[in-house]
Amino acid sequence: MAVLSTKGLTVTFGGNRAVNALDLKVEPGQLVGLIGPNGAGKTTTIDAITGFVPSQGRIEFKGEEIGSLSSTARARKGVGRTWQSSELFDDLTVLENLQVASESVSVGGFLRDLVRPRNDDIDALISILDSLDLGGTQGQLPTELSHGQRKLVGVARALAAKPAVLCMDEPAAGLDTEESQELGKRIRALVDGGLPTLLIDHDMGLVLTICDYLYVLDFGQLIAEGTPAEIRADEKVITAYLGQSASTEAGA
Amino acid sequence: MPRKIAVLGAALLGIVLLGVILISADQTQAVVLGIGGGALIAAIALSVTLNYQGSGVVNFSAGAMAMYGGYIYYGLRTNGQLFLPPIPNPLSLIEGLAHLFGASGFSLPKIPVFIQLASSSGGHEAYGTIIKGAAMPIWEALIIALAECALMGLLFHLLIFRPLRKAPVLARVVASVGLFIILQAIVVLRYTSSAQAVGPILPQHPVALPRGIRLPSDQILLVGIVIVVTAVLWAVFKYTRFGLATRAASENEKGALVLGYSPDFLAGVNWVASTVLAGLFGILVAPINQSIDPYTITLLIVPALAAALLARFRSFWITMFAGLGLGMMSAWIQLISNKSWFPKAQGSALPGLTDTIPFILIILVLVFRGKSLPTRGAIETIKLPFAPRTKRVLPASLGLAAATFVLLFIVTPGWRLAIVNSLVGAVICLSLVVLTGYVGQISLMQMALAGISGFTLSKIADAYHIPFPIGPLLGACVAVGVGLLAGFPALRVRGVNLAVVTFAAAVTIQDLIFGNPAWSGFKGASVAPPQIFGLNFGPNEPWTKFFSGGQGLLPNPWFGVFCLIVVLLLIWGVVNIRRSRVGRQMLAVRSNERAAAAAGVSVSKTKILAFGVAAFIAGIGGALSGYRFGSVSSQYFGAVPSMLFLAFAYLGGISSVSGAVVGGLIVSGGISSIVLTSWLHVSDQYTLLLAGIGLITMAIFNPQGVAGAFRTAYESFRGNRTESLAHLPLEMSESKS
Ligand SMILES: Nc1ncnc2c1ncn2[C@@H]1O[C@H](COP(=O)(O)OP(=O)(O)OP(=O)(O)O)[C@@H](O)[C@H]1O
Ligand SMILES: [Mg+2]
Repeated sequence: MAVLSTKGLTVTFGGNRAVNALDLKVEPGQLVGLIGPNGAGKTTTIDAITGFVPSQGRIEFKGEEIGSLSSTARARKGVGRTWQSSELFDDLTVLENLQVASESVSVGGFLRDLVRPRNDDIDALISILDSLDLGGTQGQLPTELSHGQRKLVGVARALAAKPAVLCMDEPAAGLDTEESQELGKRIRALVDGGLPTLLIDHDMGLVLTICDYLYVLDFGQLIAEGTPAEIRADEKVITAYLGQSASTEAGA
Repeated sequence: MPRKIAVLGAALLGIVLLGVILISADQTQAVVLGIGGGALIAAIALSVTLNYQGSGVVNFSAGAMAMYGGYIYYGLRTNGQLFLPPIPNPLSLIEGLAHLFGASGFSLPKIPVFIQLASSSGGHEAYGTIIKGAAMPIWEALIIALAECALMGLLFHLLIFRPLRKAPVLARVVASVGLFIILQAIVVLRYTSSAQAVGPILPQHPVALPRGIRLPSDQILLVGIVIVVTAVLWAVFKYTRFGLATRAASENEKGALVLGYSPDFLAGVNWVASTVLAGLFGILVAPINQSIDPYTITLLIVPALAAALLARFRSFWITMFAGLGLGMMSAWIQLISNKSWFPKAQGSALPGLTDTIPFILIILVLVFRGKSLPTRGAIETIKLPFAPRTKRVLPASLGLAAATFVLLFIVTPGWRLAIVNSLVGAVICLSLVVLTGYVGQISLMQMALAGISGFTLSKIADAYHIPFPIGPLLGACVAVGVGLLAGFPALRVRGVNLAVVTFAAAVTIQDLIFGNPAWSGFKGASVAPPQIFGLNFGPNEPWTKFFSGGQGLLPNPWFGVFCLIVVLLLIWGVVNIRRSRVGRQMLAVRSNERAAAAAGVSVSKTKILAFGVAAFIAGIGGALSGYRFGSVSSQYFGAVPSMLFLAFAYLGGISSVSGAVVGGLIVSGGISSIVLTSWLHVSDQYTLLLAGIGLITMAIFNPQGVAGAFRTAYESFRGNRTESLAHLPLEMSESKS
């Protein structure tokens, strides 16, 4: 059974269909790519899955319909996400950013904290940071980090919540080729470690090499799906999307 | 769709009014008589709209500006005197120093408070006193008053809101609150807070309308003028390049540049237009009530904001009709309050219901339009000062507490009272640290919540003899209930709109509950002193001194000690909130609601919790001040004091506990007041004015507050890397689609 799936997922803004009747599946152990040109509706798809825009159609997580839940509830069930522009909590340190995602509080816990604050174990969080090469940054503020590091903290924060499925929105955007390949390896390792992931990225080279399965969107419409090999060969994809970037990719 | 709702709302209002008018002649008469007040509300609302379009500021001081304009004009009309705001006189500083060194007779020239514009030779009797100076003719007075309004608008723009053009929402809210305080404080300084009689400006003969309705001609003229003004604004904004550019600028700055105007110029012109408009109607409408005072017109900002919000700060016509409608509606409520079925309190009609209507309207409009999470790309975060994890709390607070403890016993009674006031003030500031500092929810109602607790305490202690620690705790719990209720809109309303909601809530609480004779009488409700195990530690309990300097006079220092303990406990709790899981979630919500939700934080629960905790703390503060005065009165707890406390907390440093302590020092009646009055010989009346000025200055130059500034200085002194945190660029060039 798929960890995450959508059926007929549709999002409209005014009269504009940003996502139209999208069927999508993320199976256990899979790294699924979601690609498409600018404005294709990729971010909107993730927004819909995680409850940040109202949508029609079914969204299922481990077979359970979650379309009517709040964003918070979906996150707590295990649907994690990262943001296209990091969206870190700039007033909190890197470690605190992760703590926010990993902790939950009860009323009793709050009252106890008033008298004597108790912190959950942070070892697990530190090891997440270490695994992403962020060791040593835990006391820093996000604004003090480099762009690439901020992106990674975004990923670390999503991991801190121990998600069952992760949606990543362009984690490699703004990174140079080397950094983005490094990130690709890490993502692949995460998936192989048991975290199914839906990955949006513009770097075709990256997506085609590391993903197991791909969906291609254009103007909110699914125009192709399949394994990387199938996508490479797909006519429609080549005209709609690869057509423009393949020439640049080919040169690289 | 939202526009449709707005139109629908206005239409609905119209239909209701029409229905009301058709019911009976006496009702029609009453409702129609509200139209003059409605014209003023409409004008203030139009002024707010102009400000918003021109510079994106929601101007809380528009009502104060109308009131100020009225005072300028009536000053000139009464005796040809133009009153001046207090201008700092460097000589008085020298004087103060001289006094400090004992030269009490020493006196230097003062800057005048009035300029005599008309001939000073004449004199006439008015309001029982001989007034020196001849009245200035209407037209001259009007032109001078409006010219001053225009000048003030220009100055507000140049000195305050232009520097704040790119500042965060809270800084601009705070600046307009500062302006509100300043304008009101100046008028109180010059004319006291009691009402001044004013003569007519427009002809006031009765005109017979159809259906036997009679309406004074000035009201008809007023409505005519407000309609003309609206039509002119509408035409200017629709058909001229200037108007188009302003519209474009309110969407984005480049739009105006394309049309060949600098956004700065547009903002300036709109400021001038809005102050003149507000001033003009303040002048024209005051005679309807035959008097003018510093409060009534000022607080019309609440219905005016309701009208402007209904029109989304956009449509002038909807704004105007909503303003007129609200005016008539309140007149109608006044009328039906004589009916037997109307809710009564101690035999007389329940007051304050007129203010409830704009409040409900505001809430409905905002909650209906709001979203539980901001949409993508909506830039609604209010950048607040850095909220540090306080270190070295224990030594610092114990040291301060020990010093305060000793001081309480050895200083003179005046100073002791100031210390107590500062302690009570710090409590209210702490409540704002949690709500605004940690969670970013701007609240202009904390003092009103404190009052709820104070009134509960007074009623319970009196009626049911509930013993000491339970009484104030119960009061605080009732405050929590009301705070949650009034904070509920915050789940869907953010930023400056939330400030509007909470301000309207404060006005409603003030009029509906504190103004309710069943609750407060007209002198305020008494509060029995706190005692435990037969030990009375009320402020007025006689005590015997056992230190030489202390002077065995009231207030009782043990009451100060009691306040000190309460403050320490609350500081302990609030510091721990910042160090705990909930504190991190609060700051996460404050900095990014969407990301917080994605991290599994329940944004709504966090906000509700913050409103509850803050209301509880404010409630404790209310109980303390009830004990401190031995009574609770509506003056101390209304909407304006609530505003002031946001100001003090912001000045002190709104996102840290140390900021709340500094905030406590600068509250009116606190330590800074007594330093000003007894050391620098600045009159007590100036403290409000100084608070307003300090507030604006702080908003422009140092949004970190006093505590933040000290922290920054200290840390750069220690070469700590966190020194420049606040000034780092927020976002690096991140890819956005
Ligand atoms: N809140 C919104 N209101 C209106 N339209 C929106 C909103 N969010 C997105 N859109 C529109 O929906 C469409 C899809 O946008 P989306 O951001 O999902 O594309 P994307 O595939 O993520 O693009 P990119 O690669 O540039 O990130 C675009 O036309 C966009 O303008
Ligand atoms: Mg996107």
